[in-house]
Amino acid sequence: MLILSRKTNESIVIDGRITVKIVRVEGDVVKLGVEAPPDVPVHRQEVYDEIQRNNKQALTQGRPVLPRLPESKPKKNFKGQQVAGTTA
Amino acid sequence: MNTCETIETAEAVELETVTVQNENIVDLPLGLLGFEQIKRYALLQNKHESPFRWLQVIDQPDLAFLVLPALEVFPEYEPDVPAEDVKFLGLNSPDDALVFNIVTLAAKGAGTVNLKGPIVINRFTLKGKQVVLANASRYSIQHPLPLSRK
Repeated sequence: MLILSRKTNESIVIDGRITVKIVRVEGDVVKLGVEAPPDVPVHRQEVYDEIQRNNKQALTQGRPVLPRLPESKPKKNFKGQQVAGTTA
Repeated sequence: MNTCETIETAEAVELETVTVQNENIVDLPLGLLGFEQIKRYALLQNKHESPFRWLQVIDQPDLAFLVLPALEVFPEYEPDVPAEDVKFLGLNSPDDALVFNIVTLAAKGAGTVNLKGPIVINRFTLKGKQVVLANASRYSIQHPLPLSRK
């Protein structure tokens, strides 16, 4: 692992297009500012790991039996969640 | 997957033939977390399975993610999509967005739904992304599905 020392307001550049800046240091908390192009997802490691693990568990093969849910009421705002071409 | 489950599926669901047309192909340019290389999915629904939908991998139709519009099922759900994701998806208003949450099935008809990292899709362009909500700490990644008494 590459280890670099930086002071507040100093940055590192990755691959010429991603900048990570030390914004503030308070005790054992370091605030980082990350600037990256939109196609570079940036996540907190533990959140990334959790969602990735969940996605892997969720992937289905074949067509499992689905649980039966109680009747749902349509909600404000996002009514008619319907995409052209998906209606049976 | 055991044989018994497969048989039940065939009985429980009268599958309709769904023709995948361009208009229901969802493009996830960044893939899903852990599946970054799979970018194209068919969004399928069957009225007998409502409110569930399927995001089926285009190139491997036996692989799919079961999803649910959590907004329709959990009235208290208020996903806060980060500004950079709104920009990435080209959303001009919340009404431009379809929000689907990945379901993980467990044994005996139980399951959980990921309220923390929904798939947000621009309903006009069908470009989507799995986002980590700005208010993700309020929600569980394994929220239990409500069970019907019937």
